[in-house]
Amino acid sequence: MKALRHISLIVVTLLIMALASCSNDDQYSSDPEANFEALWTVIDEHYCFFEARGIDWNEVGDRYRKLVKPEMTAKELFDVCAQMVCELRDGHTNLSSSFDVAYYRYWDAYPHNFDLRTVQENYLAFNYRQASGMTYGILPSNYGYIYYGDFMNAIGEGNLDWVLAELATTDGLIIDVRDNGGGLLTNVETLVRRFITERLYCGSITHKTGPGHNDMAKPYDYYFEPAAEGRQRYLKPIAILTNRSSYSATNNFVSIMKQLPQVRIVGDRTGGGCGLPFTNELPNGWRIRFSSCIITDAAGQLTEFGIDPSEGCKVDITEADVAAGRDPILERAQEVLSLMLTQ
Amino acid sequence: MLRIRTITTTAAILIGIAGAIATVPDSIAPLRPVNSFYSIGIGKASMLDSYLSQLTYHGLDLRIGYERQQAMRFNPESWTQHLDLGLEYSKTDNPARNRSAHTLMVSARWGIAHRWRLPVEGLTLSVGPATSFDGGARYNRYNSNNPVSAQIRWSIDAIGQAVYNTRIGRLPITLRYRMAMPIIGCFFAPEYDESYYEIYLGNRRNIAHFASWGNRFDMVNEVSADLHFGNTVMRLGYRNVIANYDVSNLRSRHYINLFTIGLGGDWLSAGKGRRPDAAAPIISALY
Repeated sequence: MKALRHISLIVVTLLIMALASCSNDDQYSSDPEANFEALWTVIDEHYCFFEARGIDWNEVGDRYRKLVKPEMTAKELFDVCAQMVCELRDGHTNLSSSFDVAYYRYWDAYPHNFDLRTVQENYLAFNYRQASGMTYGILPSNYGYIYYGDFMNAIGEGNLDWVLAELATTDGLIIDVRDNGGGLLTNVETLVRRFITERLYCGSITHKTGPGHNDMAKPYDYYFEPAAEGRQRYLKPIAILTNRSSYSATNNFVSIMKQLPQVRIVGDRTGGGCGLPFTNELPNGWRIRFSSCIITDAAGQLTEFGIDPSEGCKVDITEADVAAGRDPILERAQEVLSLMLTQ
Repeated sequence: MLRIRTITTTAAILIGIAGAIATVPDSIAPLRPVNSFYSIGIGKASMLDSYLSQLTYHGLDLRIGYERQQAMRFNPESWTQHLDLGLEYSKTDNPARNRSAHTLMVSARWGIAHRWRLPVEGLTLSVGPATSFDGGARYNRYNSNNPVSAQIRWSIDAIGQAVYNTRIGRLPITLRYRMAMPIIGCFFAPEYDESYYEIYLGNRRNIAHFASWGNRFDMVNEVSADLHFGNTVMRLGYRNVIANYDVSNLRSRHYINLFTIGLGGDWLSAGKGRRPDAAAPIISALY
């Protein structure tokens, strides 16, 4: 009985040690000023495009700090913080709360330049297949057409073999990445490898190494290898269709493909977004996403502000085109491919 | 002349040693039972990993452990070997409790320790070197290009334990304090805002770091009580883990406090078809 009492004492002591010794200093705060400062500091210490975008973040902070009041509601604070974040004019920088997501709507000022239904109905006559997030078919002009709308959709190597085998007899290929807002960069590599025959220099990547605005690592050059032997490749002329909503990973895909001699970019300037975003959070649970790594193209250029179409390939879709069910960008791409084949 | 004298002297010494060895009777090899324990632990974890978030997460920690100790063959009274294996999972929440991080780690440590029997009856102290490896990852699914923080570490450690065998009433009990502390080693950490995609592309610069107390401090402390119920022993314990590092402007603070309960004891294996020699002394690593 005495032993049992001692054992109980040991158990209780150990339990108390285990459960009480880990200090649970809760950092939760709904205080507007504390959250504003946390947001400003995260961006100040991690954002990578202050210099490229010509932004004085201290000045921005001073301007918006005056608008933060201790008594303001969460929604009022969110609006102030969202406006401050939008000063970066960066589509990769978003503030998320449980009631709203704030982001810079960079494409608002430009024509949309895309309607998938028009392509499917008026150019493919609904005669298309779908695999691995890709819609593909053969146009009456005997050019292959692939619409890839989201780089988040994993591209299977086997799926690509099927798609490219189906299009192997075509004279040229159109890859439509309009309205593709990006996704996984590994999918860019998977796709690009099917269009090259030797190791390709793609550009360089760098990242922040510390909280200072200019604390950047030495850029690292990266390369893509051609697809493995036996995999289906496509080496005929290629036109890539872009609009302002071709963003982030799509922008990266376009920047790499543009340097290939058999490739033309047709449509509108891409949306940019060559920064790789990281995520952090505020004490009240809001999430902040921001660019913290920079990817430059093979010419060493920053493509953060978009990539222009190839020379003579800038095309917009007018309201009259939309009403007529036409896609001038797709039509121009076919002309460009024909021209490339005759040269 | 001098050479002949040297040879004669050496021969005499060797003959003397051989004679001395020959006169020692055949001693019975001691039996060295394996002291092994399986344990489970439950407690709390506190984790700050600035690669994932600027905030400290708190939550639940679970651990499955295996521990093995045995007196060593060459000098069983004074030297023991120690093996520890662990699989640990923690689910921690941010202060607002709207995001969670998951940590899964495996750990292994092997070492030897010199044991001293102290003047107090039943009290021993062991200290020695060890080597250990931890591997795993912290995962925060809400993050975009920084959802994972890999944790890989190898080190040379100092280990130590103080063991006190006593009784509470008629119940034999073994009280123990045990610690392990890495001294030097190496570990993995990306740079401040370096993505794992960049590492995947081939940039391996500055991701392997020499570990010393200047940039990393880890420590494991345990107190336990072994309650001897016949041949089976129940172990009740408290385990505290500190794993901190500061490197490449990244900051990591990980504290774990667990209540552990285990079962085990001393196990003797004499080999297939053989019975242990009843006259052989038994030297336990712990009791």
